[in-house]
Amino acid sequence: MYCIKCGVGLEATEKKCPLCNTEVCHPDFMQPSAEPLYPSGRLPKSGSGKMAFNGAVIILFFIPLLICFFADISISGRLEWFGYVAGALAVAYVSFALPLWFKNPNPVIFVPCSFASAALYLMYINLATQGDWFLSFALPVTAVICLITSTVVTLLHYLRRGRLYILGGAFMALGTAMLLIEFLIGLTFKIGFIGWSVYPLVVLALFGGLLIFLALNPTAREILERKLFF
Amino acid sequence: MPKKALSPLRWVRLDNAAKIYPAARRKNWSNVFRQSVTLFENVDTNILKSALDITVKRFPSIAARLRKGAFWYYLQQVEQAPDIREEYSYPLTYMSKEETRNCAFRVIVFGSRIAVEFFHSLTDGTGALIFLKNLVAEYLEQKYNIEIPLENGILDRTAPPSEEELEDCFPKNAGPVAYSRKDTDAWHMYGEPQRDGFLNLTCFKIPVKEALALAHKYDSTLTVFISAVMMKALANLQNEKNPNIRRQKRIKLLIPVNLRQLFESRTLRNFAMYVVPEMDTRLGEYSLEEICSLIKHKMGAEITKKHMSSVIATNVNDEQNPVLRLVPLPIKNMVMKAVFNSVGERKSCLTLSNIGQVKVPDIMAKYIKRFDFILGVQAAAPYNCGMLSFGDTVYMNFIRNTKKAELERHFFAVLQGLGLSATVESNRNER
Repeated sequence: MYCIKCGVGLEATEKKCPLCNTEVCHPDFMQPSAEPLYPSGRLPKSGSGKMAFNGAVIILFFIPLLICFFADISISGRLEWFGYVAGALAVAYVSFALPLWFKNPNPVIFVPCSFASAALYLMYINLATQGDWFLSFALPVTAVICLITSTVVTLLHYLRRGRLYILGGAFMALGTAMLLIEFLIGLTFKIGFIGWSVYPLVVLALFGGLLIFLALNPTAREILERKLFF
Repeated sequence: MPKKALSPLRWVRLDNAAKIYPAARRKNWSNVFRQSVTLFENVDTNILKSALDITVKRFPSIAARLRKGAFWYYLQQVEQAPDIREEYSYPLTYMSKEETRNCAFRVIVFGSRIAVEFFHSLTDGTGALIFLKNLVAEYLEQKYNIEIPLENGILDRTAPPSEEELEDCFPKNAGPVAYSRKDTDAWHMYGEPQRDGFLNLTCFKIPVKEALALAHKYDSTLTVFISAVMMKALANLQNEKNPNIRRQKRIKLLIPVNLRQLFESRTLRNFAMYVVPEMDTRLGEYSLEEICSLIKHKMGAEITKKHMSSVIATNVNDEQNPVLRLVPLPIKNMVMKAVFNSVGERKSCLTLSNIGQVKVPDIMAKYIKRFDFILGVQAAAPYNCGMLSFGDTVYMNFIRNTKKAELERHFFAVLQGLGLSATVESNRNER
């Protein structure tokens, strides 16, 4: 087959002339199909695209920040509630956008970073509202949940097996943490122990126990998989 | 407890020509080229991996990673062959610093094609072709249980590499007098850039017999003839883009010259120089005969031991300057990059590298459909062209990072005007 415009011979792989971009056509016969010289649509990941995307994310975070800044100034005449918005956006950025800057973000590092930023934000709210609940309630609760989550993430990241054991243990630990949360609420806000934490403890412990049972029993795991697959 | 033995992995200093490539690379450009072979049957990647494991041990200076010293880069043999990669939609994707630090070459399989992409510090086109031939020979021996004779670049892959193969041949062949680097600037091609980093490849397939007959008609070799056609196409393109003759710039073509035959070397490292034929289009239109004659005389005058020794001496003198040697690598890199950016690519419009006729043992040839040689684009100029001939066909691979195939169109128009037939194929069917 030849290009009808420039006259160059065309391989069977060509749908357009590579020189003048003219569609390959002939009224009498079709261009036979052939294996292309290179696969189509398979492109390497672009580093500059990542930079542009991360830049766009920063702008997306800045737009509400600026709007709130000017709104707070114009409504209150001073910065009254802007700090809460800025803090919340900072926590969201550290948790969701910051890891995107790294090629292989390690969750073992970024999960504790997220909790640390959340703890700082809670401390700011505590100071801004002149509360006295940060040290006795918010900090220990954040620390305990951070510990459980970080442990789970670390184990899942570095161990290839035993995921059901890890998740089962995590649910049980979370249930136990509920007791601690109720205790700290009682201590900080002077509320007596009414025992609501027993309910999530029982549910989470049962669920954790179920996962460990499934981890121990391959037959039960297979039956459950057969029934619940989607 | 016995002491742990020192690593047997070899390391070598970069040769004289290789030193500029790590320094000159940019965020989205590195000097990489590709040698590939297409077989008649699809490639079995398991057998290829096994063949690669054997081949990498035979070529410690090519199967290597690029490491940093305090004053210079060096190459260290890789411990094991890299994984075989899948092909992307275009060849010569960016080779990052991280990648060259792990392994400075890639093996890529697509259907029946085995491609190897090399960072230019490892070797030149000739060394790379020997590596590829040996990889394919090992693959064919394993797959078809045949024995391929040790000829036409096929080496004994069970034997250790000789010191000759690992030698940097530049210093010992440097002449007593250094050649001046002063040179005129060339016309800088331009076009609408392909923004997403995609490289457009256009392969011309030209019958060897027809091309040689025409070359002989112009009393030229195939390299001279094709170079003349390229220069004519470049001149026509410049005329189209800039019709004002008085404001035109020189058309200059960088033609690499393999120095192995000239200096009787068997090295597998970089050992090439170049000649740069030029024509000043402000003086008037050149006929193809005139361009052929111009290239032929330029090559005749410069491809001599004496001239090449003096050009080598220019580069080697800089490298061996004791003060420069003591400058830390980061500062050397900055200086070399600045020199490369200001001088490196201004002296020619593009590189036309001809590997020549690829020969393999007969028993191997019946499994091979074609070879291809693809250069990466230049850092600041949009085109490059690699060519070779295999069997009865010349394969010319034009690569560009611009959208329109302007040079290719002019190149074909010149061929067509001479009555030479050509078939093209490209990598941009879906775009």
